[in-house]
Amino acid sequence: MTTTLGMRVLKALAVTLIVVWSLAPIVLGVTTSLSTQREVNEGPSHWFPHHPTTQAYRALIGGTTGEHSGGTVTQRGEFVQSMWVSAELALLSASLTLVVATMAAYAFGRLRFRFGGFLLAVLVGTMVVPIFVVVIALFKLMANAHLIDTKKGLVLVFVATLTPLATWLLYTQVREMPAEPEEAALIDGCRRWQAFVRVVIPQMSSGIAAVAAILALSVWGEFLIPLLLTQTQNAKPVTVLITEYVGKYTTNYPILAAGGVLALIPPALLALALNKRITGMLAGS
Amino acid sequence: MTATGTITLESVTKHFPGGVVAVDNLSLEVQPGEFLVLVGPSGCGKTTALRMVAGLEPVTDGQIRINDRVVTRLPPRDRDIAMVFQNYALYAHMTVRNNMAFGLKMARMPKDEIRRRVDEAAVMLGLTELLNRKPRQLSGGQRQRVAMGRAIVREPSAFLMDEPLSNLDAKLRVEMRGEIIRVQRRIAAPTLYVTHDQTEAMTMGDRVAILRDGLLQQLGTPDQVYDRPVNAFVAGFIGSPSMNLLPAGLEADGDGCAISVGGARLAAPKLLEQRPALRGYLGKPVTLGIRPEDFGADGEDGEIEVTVARLESLGSELVAYLAPAGMAADTLLTARLERRAALTEGSATRVNVDVDRLYFFDPESGAALT
Repeated sequence: MTTTLGMRVLKALAVTLIVVWSLAPIVLGVTTSLSTQREVNEGPSHWFPHHPTTQAYRALIGGTTGEHSGGTVTQRGEFVQSMWVSAELALLSASLTLVVATMAAYAFGRLRFRFGGFLLAVLVGTMVVPIFVVVIALFKLMANAHLIDTKKGLVLVFVATLTPLATWLLYTQVREMPAEPEEAALIDGCRRWQAFVRVVIPQMSSGIAAVAAILALSVWGEFLIPLLLTQTQNAKPVTVLITEYVGKYTTNYPILAAGGVLALIPPALLALALNKRITGMLAGS
Repeated sequence: MTATGTITLESVTKHFPGGVVAVDNLSLEVQPGEFLVLVGPSGCGKTTALRMVAGLEPVTDGQIRINDRVVTRLPPRDRDIAMVFQNYALYAHMTVRNNMAFGLKMARMPKDEIRRRVDEAAVMLGLTELLNRKPRQLSGGQRQRVAMGRAIVREPSAFLMDEPLSNLDAKLRVEMRGEIIRVQRRIAAPTLYVTHDQTEAMTMGDRVAILRDGLLQQLGTPDQVYDRPVNAFVAGFIGSPSMNLLPAGLEADGDGCAISVGGARLAAPKLLEQRPALRGYLGKPVTLGIRPEDFGADGEDGEIEVTVARLESLGSELVAYLAPAGMAADTLLTARLERRAALTEGSATRVNVDVDRLYFFDPESGAALT
């Protein structure tokens, strides 16, 4: 390497800035969640709580009684339930999307069929239509189908909106993958679907894992669609629930922050677990 | 093992969308136990032909039979063939053992039989130590062996090989050539082998089929296609360094004739008797072919006046690039000479050719004139 000292310092500085920029809100969230409402409201504000407490977490999970809640009311079990709903939505939507998208990507990438290119273009083209444009129609559709406030309704919408992206990402992977191993499998006695299951899918596993992570993370973070399509705890994900902790007159910031911190943990774990696969795919291995 | 089985192509044609004719009316038969090499420049349709035999490419017209069974429309799995691919096409997520066993598992063969066959093939190919490795842990030569192993454990009716050596370095390629031939002789299944490398074709093939623009040019033993090429294309393609092809003229000279090439005039008194087809070309242009090894460096007695443009010593022999007098400035003759030939670059000298060993082709059609 012929980088000069100056360049290296600059690089280190840039990396530090990016890390600080990304981590600062999280650190702030964690410290706020460990503070009391009184301390948060005190001025001048400080980075670390003088009297750290897990009161906010207890309130979040165990429920609040009016007096310490500072304008925020939480029901016992509500938060945990919403976390489960979020997990269920992420898992179901990501898996169903993957089933559809992997097969679609393979078909578009490998099989010759009439209007294949056109269909792919249409599918990918739907990505440019923002969901807001169709939101009213979507609401009516879901209402008519009695799918408002149900998890399966949300899963349906997520699968429909994520399939184009997933298909496109996996399609590029199929195109870059050599065709010979599956041809070898066809000669070795496989039917097309057997070659797909036994040779193509293992070959695509890094890509599938990476796309799975992208899908699960984006469902976990989804806010607008569940806000619109859910009314009760029945199907309310954690992203929607947390906003309800913002009171009309006052907000208990430690509880709000605690909710945010807990909601971060599952996606962080997922990203960590699949990190190697994702970078592997990006490095083309 | 006794040699059985044949691969037959009968008037096989492949049109690609857009009107490209990749393979045009190709007929050939690989005999029991025979190693037949399909050779030609890139884009000549040889790989397409092989893929049609494998069932990976639909056939536009014609018939393909393996072991006298019509397979033209059958999917690859029903053709009882094995194929070795250029880039090995191993299953990256499986161990060497599972790569080799995959086809047998698909055929629901009993486990102990699978184990026996894989172990046997591993011994034959020197893969025993590597059976539990994954393909990415193997060198190119080892991967090539695994691909071979995967093909032979199946004990198929026919072998197909698509440039299996082209990803190996030169030394390993020579080594694997011998290995493939050894294994094929032992298995004795008819083998169709595709390559663009005429050296591979000549050294490995029992017979060689030369393809150009989807058309079969010539099918014969290596000696036949080398000694008696049917046209100028085959003559130029087979042999390394390739044959020198020059514009020349035939003139009557007493009872016989003479060949004028550039500024030189070669007397050939018996030529017309030996090659009656040339009678019609008296006074007309022909394409003259001279194999590089048919030149002799005779110094003063030589008939062709040349300037030595460049010399390449291969140790055992000398390849000389010679600019003949009286011909287009960029014409260079390639000559394989004895290493003792006393030549220096830039000097003028004379070389000789044996008139009996010349080749003649029609300048328009390229057909050999004999």
